[in-house]
Amino acid sequence: MTKPDDRKLIEQCIKGDRRAFEALLVQYEKPVFNAAYRMLHSPEDARDVTQTVFLRVFENFASYDPSRRFFSWIYRITLNESINWLEKANCLSLVDRETADEGRSPEQQASADETSAGIEAALMRIKPEYRAVIVLKHLMGCSYIEISDVLEIPEKKVKSRLFMARQLLKDELTRTGMHR
Amino acid sequence: MTIEQKYIDWINADIDGEIGQADKVKLDAFLEESAEGRAMHADLTRIGQSLDAVEQLQPPPFLRQRIMNSLPQEQNKGGNFLQTLLANPVLRYAASFVAGAFLAMSVVGSNTISEATFDNMGSLVGTMTDPASLGPAADSIEITSNEIAGTVSLRSTGSMLVLDFDLVSGGEVEIVANYTDRSIWFNGFAQLESSGTSVSAEAGRVKLQMQGKRRYAVFLQNNSGRQTQIDLKFMSGNELLHESTLNYEGAAE
Repeated sequence: MTKPDDRKLIEQCIKGDRRAFEALLVQYEKPVFNAAYRMLHSPEDARDVTQTVFLRVFENFASYDPSRRFFSWIYRITLNESINWLEKANCLSLVDRETADEGRSPEQQASADETSAGIEAALMRIKPEYRAVIVLKHLMGCSYIEISDVLEIPEKKVKSRLFMARQLLKDELTRTGMHR
Repeated sequence: MTIEQKYIDWINADIDGEIGQADKVKLDAFLEESAEGRAMHADLTRIGQSLDAVEQLQPPPFLRQRIMNSLPQEQNKGGNFLQTLLANPVLRYAASFVAGAFLAMSVVGSNTISEATFDNMGSLVGTMTDPASLGPAADSIEITSNEIAGTVSLRSTGSMLVLDFDLVSGGEVEIVANYTDRSIWFNGFAQLESSGTSVSAEAGRVKLQMQGKRRYAVFLQNNSGRQTQIDLKFMSGNELLHESTLNYEGAAE
């Protein structure tokens, strides 16, 4: 998933090259926004988290280990920031979260079919640690090894967490009549 | 009957495309015999397919510009635009200010602003060199429409109100700032770029036209220091894109 020229861009970013940073932004803006959106189910929150993520990346290039994959680092920041955001917004009720579609554009609303909406709602009802693994596997297309790298957990734990996440998701979908 | 863990692992690995060939053969043999195994495989496959089919959303318009605008300034440039404007490279920004003011003067009718408006430009720039005189924003708005996005902040320094525009627009946008307090008058314009924004003023109103990513400031003389408000309208052609009011609570006694 890491493009070969990421490394060069990152080297330029460390030297303070804003154009290089913008090139990374172009490359990772959409996946980061989507990961945050699937974790938060609110486009406004996802937008703010995406902004925070890139700011963190920009400010912390010095602590980035170039031997590791860049996407692992940025996805980990995205998931951590999303979970922090959820903790801060803990006072919001689940119902509020489920109706967070209000902020979506008409195009987004129109294109989110019933199944997608059901899946998204069910995702919001499972714990963030399980949601994160689903987001990485199914929405970001990460392999077990990549998920292990992002979440910094052993591959075996990735498999068990993914299995549990799917079971929980299935239970939620069954409960709401979306899955038989 | 409970399915053995190794089969559960293989079912998941199969769905995820991460099963080895030897394990796949064993899994297929197991599924041949186990209805429960087949049901689990089918269930998880359906859920996996539903998840894979969830569409990727496009990030909101202007998110990229918003992120770039939020990055800390480079160290050698220091601080935000207004701090920069008011700090070291005074002459550079003074030149920009003068250019903006001349541009403004060229489009402002002589009957709408007295010549005195521009008489003290030197002292104005002098005053602006003191960053300590610039307090936090008295009020600010954030705009996130499809056509224009960014922030407008209202600051006060001495007898001056400063409208700090940090915006990006896809097409040409006209911004009208109305202030009903007739003791307030337009006293200058500065922009970070050398061009790209045009400004005109008349009593009680400043009009700006911009396109693209722009950072600029409008200076309003507010000698009375009293409470006031500035109504902002953002237009594209005849279409109203956004409308907001910035409030100034008045100078502290």
